[in-house]
Amino acid sequence: MSLRYAFYTGCSAKGVAPELYRSTILVAEKLGMELVELEAATCCGAGAVQEKDEFLSLTINARNLALAEELGLDMLTICNTCTLMLREAKFKLDNDSELKAAVNEVLKEAGLEYKGTIEVTHFLWEVIDAVGLEKIKSMVVRPLKDFNIAPFYGCHIIRPPYLIGYEDPDNPTSIERLIEALGGNPVDHDARLACCGFHSFWSAEDKVTLRLTAMDTQAAKTKKADFMVTPCPLCHTQLDAMQPEAEEKIGVNIGMPVLHLPQLIGLAIGLKPKELGLHKHVVSTKEIIEKVA
Amino acid sequence: MEKFKLKVFRYDPTKDEKPYYQTYELSVEKGMTVLAALFRAKEEQDPSISFRYNCRAAICGSCAVRINGHATLACKVQVTHMLEKYNTDTLVIEPTGNIKPIKDLVYDMDWVVDKLKRIKPWFIPKEEPPADGKEYRQDPFNHHKIDYTSDCILCNSCMSDCNALKANKDFLGPMVISKAYRFIADSRDGAKKERLEEVLKDFNLEWCVRCMECTTRCPKEVQPYENIIRTRIIAAEEGFKSPGEIHANIFENDIYNRGMLNEMLLPMRQEGILGAAKRAPFGIRMFFKGKVNIADFFGGHKVKRHEEVVKIMDKAREIKDRVKIRLVSDVHTPYEDKRRSKQGG
Repeated sequence: MSLRYAFYTGCSAKGVAPELYRSTILVAEKLGMELVELEAATCCGAGAVQEKDEFLSLTINARNLALAEELGLDMLTICNTCTLMLREAKFKLDNDSELKAAVNEVLKEAGLEYKGTIEVTHFLWEVIDAVGLEKIKSMVVRPLKDFNIAPFYGCHIIRPPYLIGYEDPDNPTSIERLIEALGGNPVDHDARLACCGFHSFWSAEDKVTLRLTAMDTQAAKTKKADFMVTPCPLCHTQLDAMQPEAEEKIGVNIGMPVLHLPQLIGLAIGLKPKELGLHKHVVSTKEIIEKVA
Repeated sequence: MEKFKLKVFRYDPTKDEKPYYQTYELSVEKGMTVLAALFRAKEEQDPSISFRYNCRAAICGSCAVRINGHATLACKVQVTHMLEKYNTDTLVIEPTGNIKPIKDLVYDMDWVVDKLKRIKPWFIPKEEPPADGKEYRQDPFNHHKIDYTSDCILCNSCMSDCNALKANKDFLGPMVISKAYRFIADSRDGAKKERLEEVLKDFNLEWCVRCMECTTRCPKEVQPYENIIRTRIIAAEEGFKSPGEIHANIFENDIYNRGMLNEMLLPMRQEGILGAAKRAPFGIRMFFKGKVNIADFFGGHKVKRHEEVVKIMDKAREIKDRVKIRLVSDVHTPYEDKRRSKQGG
């Protein structure tokens, strides 16, 4: 199977989560995945444009998809929300020929066309299905056996099933299987499938968002996890960078480190914590770095 | 015969200090629903278990419970499927979440009813009745917009697993906003503004975290999340100002002007200079962690082939009003298993 992808970075990996971008590139290279970055792609709208102007958001993402079609490659994302927004656009266009015709009328202005010939996939899924857990296992040089790791899936990589459909949204196992392949101990906890609160931040920071952030990180802490891992940079920003605000909100010190998925893989296959950007996290990852040294 | 365990949440506030779980061992029978299993346990082992039910055919919405942590109608799912789904020999049955249990699986419905009253879930006609004395007619396209939302059976599954409600019980919740949308989106309704004002009080509508639980849970494919988003679109069209609306404009402008979101300048544009000043500790923290892209403070760079984006967005805005976007449920039955069951009759 060819491991060549049209790489859709999303805004976060190019903004507040540069360590996600860097660790993805490094890990992908080691795993033999070739990422052709879509440098002409735009923001997916992140649900924000979608809740103001549905047609506009569809045309923007039809262009993003058309860019991958030009290359004839499936589109690989590293953000849950990007994954959902792009898959949602594809789903709507592929199931409504009139809508597709209208969108193509718009794309024609720029000499583009949306055909519907490529799939939108996530780094997590490709690591498991295309690279394969057996291969990953064989590449592990530093098993994560000393770590209790709490998976945090993030909503948009499991729900809604009619747009995502990779695994059962009520009982997904992909991250646990990956952790086990890397020699780590997956920890079951109450917030495994919960929401980080990110998307209501500007409207309900105190009323909703930070409460969820506190609940999630505390749930992992209650089960004595050494750290959490998430495939989504938005969850990461919320759970890691906003954790001090969440702590302040509930008046409890939590101190739960959160890793990006590629960082987790990178640690196990021998990449250095520094090159994976573990020092760029807000909640200290010092203990993790010391343990893997 | 193969056995399974039915672990039921038990609580009688008149005598129990706190809830506990009681486990009943039952035989696995092909085709047995979870509701039938509850009946079996009640009839053969423990007549004191309390649960609500009525139609046994996923129409009345009475028997919503949480099975292994996720809300659904007990009469709509089979024991064998659930055991397989969770790869287990035990089904944990709890009352729906986010509510006060009355006894065992029976929960207090009043809090939902109180929320529903706030949005006046009934038709308030805009015009006098038609002269022929017949019904208020609706055209097919506008009917589709509200048709599927009226399938809601008020079963509470979406409210149960809503993440925003988990954080704050003052959120109206997906079922209530979805019901409000049913009337807000009805072109015959005369109380659109009033209803929008109600759901936007304290920006309640925007407390939704877009976790997609409601749409995933709904046993009737009402798609509460989609309805929340459509309500937000209508609110923006009607000129309501809110943090969500400002946020959407920032994204739209950034895509138009450079392609990618400028995260560095986001707080200032979202909350103004004073609001952004409040975020200083966060900004300083991010700066020292190397998460701040200085160039973006001066506008940053554009994505390649950006001129295409401008052309496309201009054209999309130009023809937007004549494009009728049909609802997902109108072009495609969302769930694979349901589609199969429909094909098979």
